[in-house]
Order: sequence, then C-alpha cells, then structure tokens
Amino acid sequence: MAEDPIEEEIRREIATHKILIYGKGTKTAPQCGFTVETMQFFDKFGYPYEIINVLENPAKREALTRMTNWPTLPKVFINGEFYGDTDVLGPMDERGELRPLLEKAFRTDVSHP
Amino acid sequence: MITPESLTAYIRRVLNDAAVSVTDRTGTMDHLAIQVVSTLFEGKSILDRHRLIYQALEEPLRDGRIHALELQAKTPNELTNNP
Repeated sequence: MAEDPIEEEIRREIATHKILIYGKGTKTAPQCGFTVETMQFFDKFGYPYEIINVLENPAKREALTRMTNWPTLPKVFINGEFYGDTDVLGPMDERGELRPLLEKAFRTDVSHP
Repeated sequence: MITPESLTAYIRRVLNDAAVSVTDRTGTMDHLAIQVVSTLFEGKSILDRHRLIYQALEEPLRDGRIHALELQAKTPNELTNNP
C-alpha cells in the first residue's frame, strides 16, 4: 500500500529538522499559549528549532495524531523522535535527560557537514 | 467546563487507583492543570503515562468540555520523594 502523502510529508519534515514543533501559528505570530510556552522552553537551550503551523490544516493534524497516538498540540519531535510537549520535556529536563539528547542530536552535524 | 468529580471519574475508568488534583487555570474550568498519581504509572515513560490520561479524557477533550490541559503524572513513590 502506498504511503499517505501527508504522512510522507511529516516524515520528511521530522527528518529535516533536529527540533521540530508542530503548533498553532508561526514563530513571529504564535496563536496558542502552549506554542509560545514551547518556544520559550527551547529558547533556553540555544539550539535552532523549527515551527510548523498546522492550525489551518486539519488533515495534517489528524495524521499527526494518528502517527503519534497523542491528541493535543503542540507536538515536539527531536532528532526524528516524538517527545510529546513541555509537560513531558520539563520533567525530562529536571532529570537531566534532555540536554544530552539535544547535544547528541546536534553533534551528528559534525560528521555530516 | 467540567467538574473535578466528573474529571476524576473519567480518569479512574482507566487508572482505577488514581488520586487526581485539578487546578483551574482561567476561572472557567476548561483550562486545567491536572496532577494524577497512580501505581499504574510504574515502569512507564512520561510519554505513555500522559497517553493513558489523554485516552481517559478522550470524550471531554473531544466535545470541548476541556479546552486545554497541563499534565503531571507520578507514581506514589515519586510523589513522596519529589513532591
């Protein structure tokens, strides 16, 4: 069976961006308090992240929910893996698990210039 | 909006020993911060714990009684060691 073109697009996006946030609105005009909170959360770490606005794209929101088994936005992917939202990332950070994950994600850039 | 009692009942359908505390973030009882404590979280990642809570609250999330949720999921042991 051929892959759903929307799922294919999502897989391409999560493979392209080391930190990817699917949210509501854009970096300059976020349209959801939780999306803002997620941006502020990642600003602390200093690594670049991308936001993809899915507010006006219900089909893509449904595909994302299906792929992650997670109903809400924002949805965060790091290095191609799904990590939920800041309610998951916050406790991971407190346990010291997040920085090593980000360091590892961005370190691989060196061997693939 | 949803009452804390109704919300707790939804969660206990999936996590029968859950202790649930609810904080109303906006005064409208639809933007909520919820802490759930259950032994059924033991051995599960935070991601999977939150999935269980979302699964339990699928109905009030879908029909709009809950608009936004902040979650904290702990085991009784974790609560004792790190409240």
